[in-house]
Parts: sequence; structure tokens; C-alpha cells
Amino acid sequence: MSYEEIPHTADVKIRVHARTLNALFSDACAALMHVLYGSDRKGGYKKVIEISANDHESLLRDFLSEVLFVSEVEGLVFAGADIRMHGTGLTARLDGEPFDRERHSSGTEVKGISYSGLAITHDANGYMLDILFDV
Amino acid sequence: MKGYLMIDGVLRTGTNEWEIPVGFIPGMRVPGRFFLSEALGRVLEQGAVQQLANVATLPGILDHALAMPDIHWGYGFPIGGVAAFSLDEGIISPGGVGFDINCGVRLFTTPLVFQDVTGRHDLINELFRAVPTGVGAKSSLKVSPRSLDGMMVKGARWAVESGYGLPGDLARCEDGGYMKEADSRFVSAKAKQRGVPQGGTLGSGNHFLEMQVVREIFDPTAAKAFGLSLGQVCCMIHCGSRGLGHQVCTDHLKVLEQATRKYHITLPDRQLACAPLDSPEGKEYFGAMAASANYAWANRQMITHTARQVLSKMFSVDYEEMPLVYDVAHNVAKFEEHMVSGKRQNVCVHRKGATRAFGPEAPDLPPDLAAIGQPVIIPGSMGTSSYVLRGTRTAMNRTFGSTCHGSGRIMSRSQAKKKLSGKEIASDLLREGIIVRAPNENAIADEAPEVYKPSEDVVNIVHEVGISLLVARLSPIGVIKG
Repeated sequence: MSYEEIPHTADVKIRVHARTLNALFSDACAALMHVLYGSDRKGGYKKVIEISANDHESLLRDFLSEVLFVSEVEGLVFAGADIRMHGTGLTARLDGEPFDRERHSSGTEVKGISYSGLAITHDANGYMLDILFDV
Repeated sequence: MKGYLMIDGVLRTGTNEWEIPVGFIPGMRVPGRFFLSEALGRVLEQGAVQQLANVATLPGILDHALAMPDIHWGYGFPIGGVAAFSLDEGIISPGGVGFDINCGVRLFTTPLVFQDVTGRHDLINELFRAVPTGVGAKSSLKVSPRSLDGMMVKGARWAVESGYGLPGDLARCEDGGYMKEADSRFVSAKAKQRGVPQGGTLGSGNHFLEMQVVREIFDPTAAKAFGLSLGQVCCMIHCGSRGLGHQVCTDHLKVLEQATRKYHITLPDRQLACAPLDSPEGKEYFGAMAASANYAWANRQMITHTARQVLSKMFSVDYEEMPLVYDVAHNVAKFEEHMVSGKRQNVCVHRKGATRAFGPEAPDLPPDLAAIGQPVIIPGSMGTSSYVLRGTRTAMNRTFGSTCHGSGRIMSRSQAKKKLSGKEIASDLLREGIIVRAPNENAIADEAPEVYKPSEDVVNIVHEVGISLLVARLSPIGVIKG
């Protein structure tokens, strides 16, 4: 897992490095869960999400927005995401557990996934992503 | 005055005024203008100036892209950003409103004085128990899908009619506590699903409920009209439209991204996705945004009800003895009438982290405040003073009736967590007589006083510029953090 929080005055800006696009999306999902619920997250409960979009940036924003929605309304906290990209879409197999107030209250709510500064770049070392969560 | 250059290309045009000239970035249609002291200018980020310049490129923008002294780097518009658009050529953008639609703040008074509540941990504990806060919190007040529609259509009016307030509360809310343009048909099933369990919850981040004491009165006439007196205990509530509003922004941003291409609008930032005000996409977002704004007003009204019940029970005061001073929205877009180039016209004003500050005789003021101006409520950061100001004619003439909304962050949350310990901050505040309750320590470190510009500096600038005038200062005695 490879992501870091980079300084942003008002919100949470995350930078992710990954060898593959699948891993990049998976790590971005882990970063989102960490901001929301902290690091104590276990697997066991499975959930599948399908998303399609016009470009990688929109696909990522829509995917994370959907994770945010599912997590809130179904009361689930995810420990991992197995991503499979196909054409203009993706299938995410999420692995998580029910929200537990005792263990999952160290984070902060994320209001939305922003397009501002959202960029996925690719070079010989793999992929890099900058993304902003409004908190 | 010319001695200090804040950021390359930004011009100083007054003691507390700066201009971003057309040409600072390509495509600017009007200049940018922001209000800031030289001292606060030293902590201004290049990113915030860039974002204000981006706003100036939007179609149909009138006069100036404006920012208040709490300007800081956000997404889309900078925080503190204000822009008005013409109805025929202008656009509507969720980037000028934010995810937390009608995040806002309200203040109600009590008949209690400082001596009644000082050191009362039980009051703060009871409020913390009664008002759901933090991640994953669910409401104890049952909102049915039918009442959700009431919240979206009638806002605070729905709440008062449902028994969550006093009829007099509505006259003391911006727009009477609801926007008539709300159209819940454009609020998705997903957004509604998020809205049901969260009615009456505070949320997290910078949201709070604070018990405060009036410590200083600057304008006795206005303070009296607002119902404020020295030593009086008040309650301030800061929150927004919760998951419902966040989902509305997320959903419509996606539609408006496509609309931006459809209407051949060129943007410097995708978060500024927008559509013409008279387009179907623009109207649908406006209707959904107004419904979310109404949900937020209903939500703050429900939290007010819970807090009044606690105070009423613990101190044997009547519910009716706790009137609302005012409720302001600080993330919203509205249709308002303003003077533009000497002519009155209807415009769409976006306020992103900025407060409406209508001056005397402006529309929408309750008759008893018509001579004074609209109450403006500016929350301080945790543990620092909050301020009540009043709107002015200068604001009507210079800022589309707008002023600042808070103190403005200067330190990132990651830095704050590294540098500051929630436990230490809470015990420091307790030594100053301020009791803090929060779901976790990070929530305290994230919002520590040091991470914000001093609220005093920010309100002094708007006072000096004249876009709102100081009425009273309140300091906290107990804080419930979301």
C-alpha cells in the first residue's frame, strides 16, 4: 500500500503511487477509508461495485463516490478492494466489516471527492495520482 | 501602501484590498478582488489566488470575482469566494457552493448568565449525549421519508410546524428558513437515502455546537435589537446538509461536467463544472441545491430543538425564553437583486464560505431589524471568540451583500495532527474554562485554535472595509465537536 497525505490547508489531499492502475485505485480506496475510519479495519464482508465512466479520472471519482455512499448507507467499513478494470469501467470487490463506533471513530467524515487537481499520471515507474477529499 | 507585493501579479489597491488584474491567467472576463490585511496576506496561498482568478473566467460573471478575508485554498472557488452572474449569460456551478450545501451557522440566546453555567460539565456532557455527532452518527429524532420531503421543500418551516421550534424562529432565518425554488424531484434516491437517518445530526470536521457568553458589546443599539446583552449565555450551532447535500453535489457535478462540454464552456478546473442558469441541467442543479439548503435549515432547527430541550430541563428555563438571533447560510447560490454598473438587476450570487450581509432596508430583513441590517454570525475556531456583526449598505454596493464566514484555516489537518495533541489542547482549553467534548482526539487536534487565522483579525478587516460592522463578541465555555 502506498499513499501519503500531502499538505492542503482546508481539505485532505492524497498522493498515491502504484505499479498498476488496479493497485492505484485500490490504494486510493484504502486512503479514503483511512481518512474516514482510521487504520483498524478488518475484512470478512464482501460487496461488489460496478462503475463506468469516460476517462480514468472520472472513473476514479465515481468509484470513490460510490464507496463513500455504500459505506455510509450500509454502515460498512472496508479493509481492502480488489479492482479489475475492463474497457471504460471497473469491477471492485470490496472486503470489509460493519461500522463499529468503538473502533472506527478516529476519522473524519468526507463530504465529497473533488475534481480539483485530480490527475492520474503514468511513467516508467508506474502510476501516480493526486486527489482531494473535502472534509 | 505599495511596499509589499503579496504574490507576483497581484496589485494592492487599498489598505485591505488587492486586485488580480485581467490577464493574470488566460480567459479572465473580470478582475479578481479580495480583502485582506498585509499581515494575513503573508499566509495566503498561491493556490487560493489562482482559484479566484479561475472564477473570473466563468461566463456571465459580473463586476469582480470577490474573496473575503478568510480566503483560503479550497476546490473550485476558493473558500471565502463570492461571485454574481447575470441571468441571461451566467452559469451555476456546484464549485461555487461546495459539497456541504448551506453549511451555515445560527445563534440563539438564553436567559442564563455566565455564573449559571460556568464549570457545568454536566451541561456539556448532556448536550454531547443528546446531539448526535461524528462519523456514523444517526439521528434520535425519527425522520420518515415523508418528513424528508417536508425538510427539502419547507426547510426550517417544516421543522417548526413539526414541533421543533418557535414560530418566531423563521423570521430570524435567512429567507425565512427555506428557498422557494427547491425541487426535490432532482434530489436522487441515493441522496434521500442518506438524508433520512441524518436529520438532526451535527456531522464532523469543523462542525460544532458551542455554549458561549457575550463578553463585549461594540454596538449597543444593534445588540439590543438582536436580543444580546453582556454576560448572557448563548448557543451557536454550525452544520450543514449532511450526506444528502454531499450526494446532491456529487450527482450533479457529474451531470454538469458533461453539460460544460455540451455548452462549449472552457474551464481551468473541472471542479468548476457548470451550466447556463437557464439550461435544463442548470435548473435541475439549482432545484436540488435549494432542496439541500432547506434540509440544512431544517437540520439546524432540529438541533436547536434538542439543545433547547436540554437547557430547558437542566436550568428550568422556558423553551420560549431562548429565541433565535439569526441563521445564516455560508455555502449557497441564490437569486438576488443587486446594483450592477448603476442598474438594479437580478443576479445569481454564489457564496462559497461567505455570509450574506444585507444592509439596512434590504429585502428579506424582519421589520424589527430593517433599520439595523441583517445579523451576521461569524464563528471563531475552537476555543476562540465568535462575533456577531451587522450587514451594511457598503456590502450591498461592493460585495453583493456579502462578508466573511469564519476565521479561515492556515494549517493543514495533517500538520495539525503531527504538531498538536488533542488531549493537550483539551486540557489547555479546560484551564481557560472551556469544556470540550468530541468523538475522538483527532477531531480536537484538527480544529485547534492554532490552525486558523485569528478570528479577531478577520472580523476587524471586514469592519474596517465596512462590509459588515462589529456588534458583539462571544467567547466559548463549552464545545461539542463533530
